Amino acid sequence: MAEQKLGNPAAVGLAGFGLTTLVLQFHNVGWMGIGPVIWLGLVFGGLAQLIAGLQEMKTGNNFGYCAFTGYGCFWISLALMLLGNHFNIYVSSKTDIGWFLVAWTAFTAILWIGSMRISGALGLTFTLLLIGFILLDLAHFGYPGLTVVAGYELMVTACMAWYIMAHIIFADVFGRDVLPVGKPWI
Amino acid sequence: MLQRRNCILAVLVSLFSGLACAAPAADEAATPEESITKVWAASKFLQDKGASGFASLNSQDGIWTWKDSYVFAFDCRFDRMVAHPTRPDLVGRPIMQITDNNGKYIFKEMCKLASSPRGGWLEYVWTRPGAGRVSRKLTYVHTAEIAFSNGIQLAAGVYDEKLSLEDLDKLTAKMADPAKYPAH
Repeated sequence: MAEQKLGNPAAVGLAGFGLTTLVLQFHNVGWMGIGPVIWLGLVFGGLAQLIAGLQEMKTGNNFGYCAFTGYGCFWISLALMLLGNHFNIYVSSKTDIGWFLVAWTAFTAILWIGSMRISGALGLTFTLLLIGFILLDLAHFGYPGLTVVAGYELMVTACMAWYIMAHIIFADVFGRDVLPVGKPWI
Repeated sequence: MLQRRNCILAVLVSLFSGLACAAPAADEAATPEESITKVWAASKFLQDKGASGFASLNSQDGIWTWKDSYVFAFDCRFDRMVAHPTRPDLVGRPIMQITDNNGKYIFKEMCKLASSPRGGWLEYVWTRPGAGRVSRKLTYVHTAEIAFSNGIQLAAGVYDEKLSLEDLDKLTAKMADPAKYPAH
């Protein structure tokens, strides 16, 4: 009996992570308002990425399990904080958001080390993500102008995440490695 | 009969004195010190309350309207009026194209001033609440740090024919750093 083919949850996880990150940066650089960020953050970046993360458990991939579940929760929390600030429920100040981001920077730093052991493309994605988080931390603690710099930098991060997503999808549909992700850095 | 006349007189006197007391606060003129203090207080308020604080700034009877002045909020980056207690029709609408009677692009100028750390004062002409005609207005503008935003600009002004922008800038510097300006 032929074994049933399983999909790769990382394709969905990277899609949600990349798209929501990209849209938030469109807001951060001043191209659009915050509305779509909230709903995408709850649904694609949040719920879909969280489900993708939970599905990674079955594949035995602890990196994907932790990363996608973690960043899914990041997006849901961020969207709920935005809504909370609008409706006066557990309001977060700019400094509160700053410390929230510092915690996620530390989380990202751990995954960044792991990512370098997986592939060059993933190592680069997490390097860019870590730099983006550090820039956002600084933007919340005295250097507000860095929000825009972080915005452009994180757009590149989102595109890198999509590159890996495309690598997974194209490898499946073309039956060969169309977009190489490179060897691990360490 | 005399008693009845006195009674009517008493009612009229009390009615008019009551009206005098209830006369619009716009008769009193706001001071530059009050404008600066209110803008800084609103800035701190928004830092704590986030976007939920905008409703308070939109209230006509709230703490952000006093005498003949009021605090209003706008977003230079997204070209939007965020809160305005006396002109709700402007809220949510683009602002950069708004000019005064002399053709001055008020909000473009205010956004330039708001980018400096202590903010600044702008002179233009605007309708004074209750007056029904335009007056010389001097408005203090400052950027408030608020979560999920690159900053919201807050402003409040005074209607005055004599005050100079130099004096107002000195006043702002003095209020921002009173230690540098001893009383004696």
